[in-house]
Amino acid sequence: MANLANLYDVSKCTACRGCQVACKDWNQLPAVIEPFKGNYQTHDDTNGDTFTIIKFFESEDPVDGVKWDFFKRQCMHCWDAECMKVCPRQAYSKTSWGATLHDPDKCIGCQYCAAACPFEIPKYRKREDVITKCTMCADRVEEGLKPACARTCPSGALTFGDRDELVQVAEARAKFLRANGFPRATIYGKIELGGLNNLYVLTDTPDKFGLPVDPKVSGNVTFWQDWIQPYFGWLIPLMLTASATSFVTSRLLASKNGGHGEHGEGGHE
Amino acid sequence: MALIPEYRDDVPRVERFNWLARFSHWGHTVTFLLCLFTGLVLFLDGVNWLAAIFGGYRGAGLVHRVSAVGMTLVIGIGMVFGFKGIIEWIKDLLRFGMNDIKFIMIFPLEFLGFPVKVPPQTRFNGGEKGNSIVTPTCVFLLVLSGYIMWFPAIFPVGLVRVSYWTHDIAMVGATCMVCMHAYLGSFHPGSGESFWGMWKGTVRADWAQHHHAIWYKETYGDKSEAE
Ligand code: HEM
Ligand code: HEM
Ligand code: SF4
Repeated sequence: MANLANLYDVSKCTACRGCQVACKDWNQLPAVIEPFKGNYQTHDDTNGDTFTIIKFFESEDPVDGVKWDFFKRQCMHCWDAECMKVCPRQAYSKTSWGATLHDPDKCIGCQYCAAACPFEIPKYRKREDVITKCTMCADRVEEGLKPACARTCPSGALTFGDRDELVQVAEARAKFLRANGFPRATIYGKIELGGLNNLYVLTDTPDKFGLPVDPKVSGNVTFWQDWIQPYFGWLIPLMLTASATSFVTSRLLASKNGGHGEHGEGGHE
Repeated sequence: MALIPEYRDDVPRVERFNWLARFSHWGHTVTFLLCLFTGLVLFLDGVNWLAAIFGGYRGAGLVHRVSAVGMTLVIGIGMVFGFKGIIEWIKDLLRFGMNDIKFIMIFPLEFLGFPVKVPPQTRFNGGEKGNSIVTPTCVFLLVLSGYIMWFPAIFPVGLVRVSYWTHDIAMVGATCMVCMHAYLGSFHPGSGESFWGMWKGTVRADWAQHHHAIWYKETYGDKSEAE
């Protein structure tokens, strides 16, 4: 099956946050109320009961006055998902059309994926001791529906569909924006980390939206997963073998020397 | 040959480890091994039978945490109440010298059971000095990285990522040492008598004289001459 993706166009988002509500509703997530922090953003970040949020980037320009940039944050559904590689319980899986799914029944709450993800997306749900994250509404998509967020979006900022087609739509839109007052407009998700199933049209460079410009899996995580875990542990059976060898040879040598070197003798006269 | 030397109370014995040292040694041994086997459940990926012993993967995680706290407490108690002993231990480690280097060089032969002549040793021989540095360092790293992995939310994500490989490297380091150490402290002919030093507190005087000549002379020299 071809890859299906969600395209989010920053320039069309009005921050109505209908997607946030629709996500809570479909996934039956309880409200999480955080104190006011002097900003219209609802939550600091996604959390165990909030799979997506609209981030508010506020800036002040002497001429234009106060300006807001909005950004929808949720799982990127990487093709090559690092969360899936580090998970010691194989709780993650990929659907044939590209969504990264997490099975809370297999999860043991070790939180390795939360630290391994280059976007720090998987979040810990303390009351159940499991990780949660956006599912791309796989349960809806597999019934031929759109994800709840894309279904709700009233401004056309979210479009769900064939990824190859959406890449072209996004590229055309970025080109249009660059010619119409957003010279740094760009797309995100086409090539990053080998490809994401969440595409973006951005009106400015990715760092202005809190995105890593060149996202990478941390070298610490690669070192741990690709070198230490597969190879380093072999030292243990090696040491066990050494001790087992000594167990046999020292007993053989002791009997050959007519009892010398036995326990009581102290081993070496 | 018996697995470990017979405990002989018909021969003169000398004290090697006091009650507190023995309590903390066996306390951290049990909790360390519990941590090890419950940790291996995740390290080895897919050893369901090992996880099943602890009631599944979640059970293993719980046992890992309970023993981790237990080990921290046992080591903490040993360090606070046995502070004087720890200082003496460190002082002995600082006496690392030519006799220790010679010991380590001929040790592989002694290990395999060849009769060799070993230079006189202090309270801890060259190998034990090495063990006394490497193993506690690894355990310290395990504790440090372990608590960071337990509560990743309150630490910077970069530190959590470093903790993952640190925990594994320190686990392998400590376990390799323990594989040799546990064998030498029990089944190895020759050094097996040291087991009684850690279990009952005393070792045979002739064994101590033979294996730790410098320590024996300094600690029990006068007394044994008087006898
Ligand atoms: C204070 C001491 C320790 C603490 C707080 C601690 C904590 C942890 C935590 C939170 C994990 C993550 C997995 C989980 O959630 O169950 C873990 C994994 C692990 N621990 Fe520990 N631990 C400690 C000591 C030890 C010791 C002494 C050993 C072994 C000698 C050990 C070996 C392991 C191993 C092998 C893993 C799996 C790592 C992997 O998946 O690659 N830990 N530990
Ligand atoms: C399960 C089997 C174990 C046995 C039979 C054992 C036995 C012993 C004995 C007999 C001694 C005293 C050596 C002497 O006379 O100087 C000793 C010391 C010591 N043990 Fe263990 N032990 C075991 C496990 C462990 C574990 C799991 C650790 C730490 C993680 C550990 C750490 C130490 C240290 C640091 C010393 C002092 C330094 C030395 O003598 O090497 N032991 N042990
Ligand atoms: S964005 Fe993060 S959580 Fe989502 S699939 Fe990629 S690595 Fe995993």
